[in-house]
Amino acid sequence: MVRLGRLHLLDRLQLLLAGMLLVLGLMSVYSASPADFRKQLLSLLLGLAAYGVAARVDYRRLERFLLPAYGACLLLLLVVHFAGHSALGARRWISIGGFPLEPSELCKVVVLAALARHFAVRQGAERSLRTMFGAIALAVPPMILILLQPDLGTSMVFAAILAGMLFLGGSSRLHLAGLATLAVVAAPVVPHLLHGYQKQRLEIFLNPMSDPLGAGYNLLQARIAVGSGGLLGHGWLHGLQGSLGFVPERGTDFIFAVYAEQFGLLGCVVLIGLFTGLLLRLSWAASVAPDRFGYLLCAGVAVMVCFQVVENIGMNVGLTPIAGIPLPLISYGGSALVANLAALGAVQSVMLRRRLLVYRDVEALDRHLLSESGTVRLDPGLKHPVGAVASGDPWSA
Amino acid sequence: MIDLRPGRWVELAGIEPRARWTRRLAAFALLAVGLSSALVWRLADLEIVQGPSFARLALVNRVHRVPVVAERGVIYDRQGTQLVINQPAWSLAVTTVALPPDRTQRDAELAALAGLAGMSGAELTARLAIDSDGYRPLAVLTGLDDNRAQTVNERLPRLPGVSLQHVAIRRYVDPDLYGHLLGYVGPIDSEEFKTLKGKGYLPDEVVGKSGLEAGLEDLLRGRDGWQDVLTDANGQVVKVLREQPPIPGRSVYLAIDAGLQKSVHDALVEGLRKAGSKAGASVVTDPRTGEITAMVSIPGYDDNLFAKGISEADYSRLLNDPAKPLYDRAIAGEYPPGSTFKMITGTAALQEGKITADTQLACPANLKFGAWTYWNWAHYDMGAMNVAKAIPTSCDTFFYQVANLLGPDTLATYARDFGYGARPGIELPGAGAGVAPTPAYKLQVCPYPAGTPDCGWNVGDTVTMGIGQSYVLTTPLIQAMYAAALGNGGTLLRPTLVHQVTDGAGKLLSSAHPEIVRQVPVDAANLELLRSGMHQSLTGTWGTAAIARSLGFKWDGGAKTGTAQFGGTGVDLPSHAWFIDFAPYQNPEFASATILEGAGFGEFVAEPVAVGFMNYYYAHRTEIHSGG
Repeated sequence: MVRLGRLHLLDRLQLLLAGMLLVLGLMSVYSASPADFRKQLLSLLLGLAAYGVAARVDYRRLERFLLPAYGACLLLLLVVHFAGHSALGARRWISIGGFPLEPSELCKVVVLAALARHFAVRQGAERSLRTMFGAIALAVPPMILILLQPDLGTSMVFAAILAGMLFLGGSSRLHLAGLATLAVVAAPVVPHLLHGYQKQRLEIFLNPMSDPLGAGYNLLQARIAVGSGGLLGHGWLHGLQGSLGFVPERGTDFIFAVYAEQFGLLGCVVLIGLFTGLLLRLSWAASVAPDRFGYLLCAGVAVMVCFQVVENIGMNVGLTPIAGIPLPLISYGGSALVANLAALGAVQSVMLRRRLLVYRDVEALDRHLLSESGTVRLDPGLKHPVGAVASGDPWSA
Repeated sequence: MIDLRPGRWVELAGIEPRARWTRRLAAFALLAVGLSSALVWRLADLEIVQGPSFARLALVNRVHRVPVVAERGVIYDRQGTQLVINQPAWSLAVTTVALPPDRTQRDAELAALAGLAGMSGAELTARLAIDSDGYRPLAVLTGLDDNRAQTVNERLPRLPGVSLQHVAIRRYVDPDLYGHLLGYVGPIDSEEFKTLKGKGYLPDEVVGKSGLEAGLEDLLRGRDGWQDVLTDANGQVVKVLREQPPIPGRSVYLAIDAGLQKSVHDALVEGLRKAGSKAGASVVTDPRTGEITAMVSIPGYDDNLFAKGISEADYSRLLNDPAKPLYDRAIAGEYPPGSTFKMITGTAALQEGKITADTQLACPANLKFGAWTYWNWAHYDMGAMNVAKAIPTSCDTFFYQVANLLGPDTLATYARDFGYGARPGIELPGAGAGVAPTPAYKLQVCPYPAGTPDCGWNVGDTVTMGIGQSYVLTTPLIQAMYAAALGNGGTLLRPTLVHQVTDGAGKLLSSAHPEIVRQVPVDAANLELLRSGMHQSLTGTWGTAAIARSLGFKWDGGAKTGTAQFGGTGVDLPSHAWFIDFAPYQNPEFASATILEGAGFGEFVAEPVAVGFMNYYYAHRTEIHSGG
């Protein structure tokens, strides 16, 4: 149990930033598709519960559940593959007691944690090729299953997480360069592997006016919505492009366009500022994480959120190709919301325990006290002053 | 107590870890800030720099000016009997912007739509290509009744962008009586659209194609309005922001009297049946005003077939019918006038001083001019007579001599004075002009090279012109106006079918007033001689039209029969039966012309028809003239 005395270690700034983003998200969903608002509210409650649970559970205890969770994820993806509901030409959902579940969203978080664990376990051998291939081997199977749905966007998120983990996990610069070269060389092959509509999206990205009433329509309409927002926007619930249905997928992929039309550049700066603050705060969390696993967990969440935000807003403003990626904490969609909040909760779990140094043996404690004694200070809010050390597994007490 | 045994977990609380910014973590944080800045930069460009142009685009997106088609004007008879109804129906329409954006899906849907509309894919594509405004539902098929619309409606959910729209189609109340007269409307074809676009026509609008629908197009069409509508992405109207309501077309009250029209029609049908003829026409006018009170051409056709969009099979059946039902004989049928022309010959001779009222000319069974012998209709000598008697006896040989004295050019001048050779300015397209022939005309129409003897005018052409043969041609409408001019003392009037025009609310906008084409340059006394001849013809015991008495005609008037040979020169040729008349004799209020194609003698075939509807007229004349 987290003792009440530790709650002040909660990263309240992260909670505030995420909370403000969630409020903006609810407002956007309400304006874009009022019919979905109640469901989104319900998902939010579920997400907040997930946030709380993830924060309360000791992240280090997750390690032993990661392998089964990873296996369950692959299984779920296989179920989707063979028995999922299709929408818009892709099988992405399964029903759990009547609620649609998008396993790929939950898998993101599980794979992220699994990668963090992988690097943590192989501490000291980060630079080895074996570590790198191990990480790739972890990320690729779910990625392929998701690519087959087909869901290019989510599998791109997996690739981004993998790349981020390799980079932040400490793979050698040489290996990273080699991998990057391989990716660049393989890039021309990609269009041949893409589905028809994905290829079309790519073409449209390169030349949006080629078919303004056809495939380029979505992009153009989204951009018109963004552009017509001006400095201050039309005001909440006064965005016509969005409410009249000109903006496609306006509750999910293109919710940013709906938001931008209503709140203008000022609102966009606020939103992106909040995201940037959140990302910096997550990076900071990584920097103060008490151990390797915690560091990688926080950094991985930061990478995941960063990629999704940049790709989603980027495609809304025509900077990146269209890929079906929701805007974290903003877009309509229960699975993504719950998964993202659980990921942020896991970061809070690290934060709550950042002052706990756990050592496997006394020698390690000695080493630490010798090396970092300069940073040890008294914490007046703590019942146990420095040196008061609990034994065993204090969190299970 | 601290358990410091090796391998046990040891936790130390209370140490705030120092932030360890590795280079890579710092690089990631910088990247995040950099990417965010790039997004903000891009947004500033989109929303501030390009903002106004996107705002304009958004407006174009949402607000559209949609034309509202004005209701077409209604046509009534002079008493206010409705002759055409704007019947609510459905049209199958396509809103281009709401079609599926995906090219293959769109093509598949268009193929399905073409099948539904019963047209080829290319036809449909061409139809859609006319329109530049993708936000307006463009009708590709119109005139669907409720049943058809119901079956279409069931398939609409699978056809986004396709809708059923309310339209009005023209239903003609009595196509038997008014088929030719009213004509029909149809969708603008691409050729017409090129010329009509300037007048604000829409590519899927209907336009008058024939009859009064075409002739009165500008009155009937009205002025289209518009609406500025806010639409959603599917082209569905969310709200009307501004509008200019359409001004419906004018209501037109025809000069036609429905009862008289029916009586003329029935009499003509009966007359044709008795004569074994298939085709004929009658035109009735008011010699005081030039208003056409009845006009019938038989055979007719059902103009409702066209209003709904005629099928290929129906259209080719009408086109290939040897009786030519699409051909409006009353205005476009050009026939030799035969003996009905003799009043022109007589007037010309008197006016030119070639004869006087007392000049007696022989009326033998035949006369020789040049190498040819020309026969009277009666193969016996009728004795010498003056012009006033030559009309009721219809002596051909008398008029041969008179025509020979006048010559073709003078005769043609008088024929033109009475309306021959010029299109009567009636509100119908396709009116024929007839022919007042001259030697120059014969040369012009001669199929052989100039100088060929057959192309030269000969005396035979002159003398037969005197009895309305030769190259003389007229139409029933020209004949009716000619009869009216004889009746009213030489005033040639412009025929008109429009009695009154009101706006949609019933406010009177204009009323027919007589339009004089010309006063025929003939002395009243000379004209009166011919008129008295026509009077004799109808009322005299030996008049060629005297049969009227036995048909129950009790009134006073003037008439002339005609038996016009056609199909070449010679004897025993088939002949059209003509009858022209005016009544009463003084201040006539009724004049008519009737022809039965190839039916034989005017007095036996055409006259009973005319007398039939003249009797109706006299029985109902107060009602007929009470209108308006």
